[in-house]
Amino acid sequence: MKYIKIVLQVLVLYGFVFIGNWLQDLLNVPLSGSIIGLLLLLAALSLKIYRLEWIESGAYFLLAYLPLYFIPATVGVMNYWHVFAGTGFWLIPITMISTLLTMWISSTVSQFFSRKSAEKEAELL
Amino acid sequence: MRILMVSILFFMVTIATYLVMNFMHFKYRKAFLLPILTTTVGIILVLVVFKVPYETYMLGGKWVDLFLGPAIVALAIPLYKQRELIKQNMLAILVGVVLGVFVGMTSGILFTNLVGFSEEIIYSILPKSITTPIAIQISASLGGITSLTIAFVMIAGFTGIIIGPMFMKWLRIDTTIGRGIGLGAAAHALGTSKAIEYGEEEASYSSIAMTLSALIGSIVGPVMAWILL
Repeated sequence: MKYIKIVLQVLVLYGFVFIGNWLQDLLNVPLSGSIIGLLLLLAALSLKIYRLEWIESGAYFLLAYLPLYFIPATVGVMNYWHVFAGTGFWLIPITMISTLLTMWISSTVSQFFSRKSAEKEAELL
Repeated sequence: MRILMVSILFFMVTIATYLVMNFMHFKYRKAFLLPILTTTVGIILVLVVFKVPYETYMLGGKWVDLFLGPAIVALAIPLYKQRELIKQNMLAILVGVVLGVFVGMTSGILFTNLVGFSEEIIYSILPKSITTPIAIQISASLGGITSLTIAFVMIAGFTGIIIGPMFMKWLRIDTTIGRGIGLGAAAHALGTSKAIEYGEEEASYSSIAMTLSALIGSIVGPVMAWILL
């Protein structure tokens, strides 16, 4: 029974991807079908159209293995060795440094602002 | 019939390798044993040794790929459960993500320009911090090479999840919002899979950072390319 529930809920999640893809095609928005699906499900939950317990087990089942679903894409890097030969090698440290800069700015700034607003709230109390 | 057998074989190989690597990671608790890294390296080694092209592997791999879409939709659950927290911190999230997208794209363009790469390569590297399906669209609309963009998106993702945790510890990022936004803005969905290991607050911050940077990146990307090139 528990497994039937998970399978059905995963199918519902598929339904959201399907609608998301369809909307993406129709409206030509700069978001992927699955992200549109995420926003739709979030809206459905917030507006109480869809209930959390109708989706929760399926969602956590899928999320528990999230890294697994990226593997076909990450294995695809094997087709691009040649790009990183010679001067192309520099693209690897460039990507790494630029990624760390992105992480540094976004994490530091958001942490700083959330602490600021927490302090302000504390002062008001 | 043969195609079906090959598909089932690589589908099973992917899942089995992942489960074994996941167990190894759980048992030895070493950062370099990150399952997604060890599984990727393991499968590439097998394919290279047996001279199997990636396209053949993907006959089975695409079945695994099918789960990615619904799993991304499933990220709505941690987001929904943490919605109050997100509303409270909306300004911090927005400023962090916008600056992250800006710094990521600017530094990518400037560094590649410095070494003297072609515009085609620069356009391909520009959306590297954004989740694959959107990064591909941005790259294609500018005139980049989409398959190369996927490689950059993966390198960014791996950097974020392998070096990221140590890097943020060193930077004294010790809040759930700092860790979540850092992982999601720099390393997209891969970073979000790491954020789930930290906890539900990190997971929801990371998924909102990933979604926002996809949205902002696809609007800002072409403008940045136009200004800086």
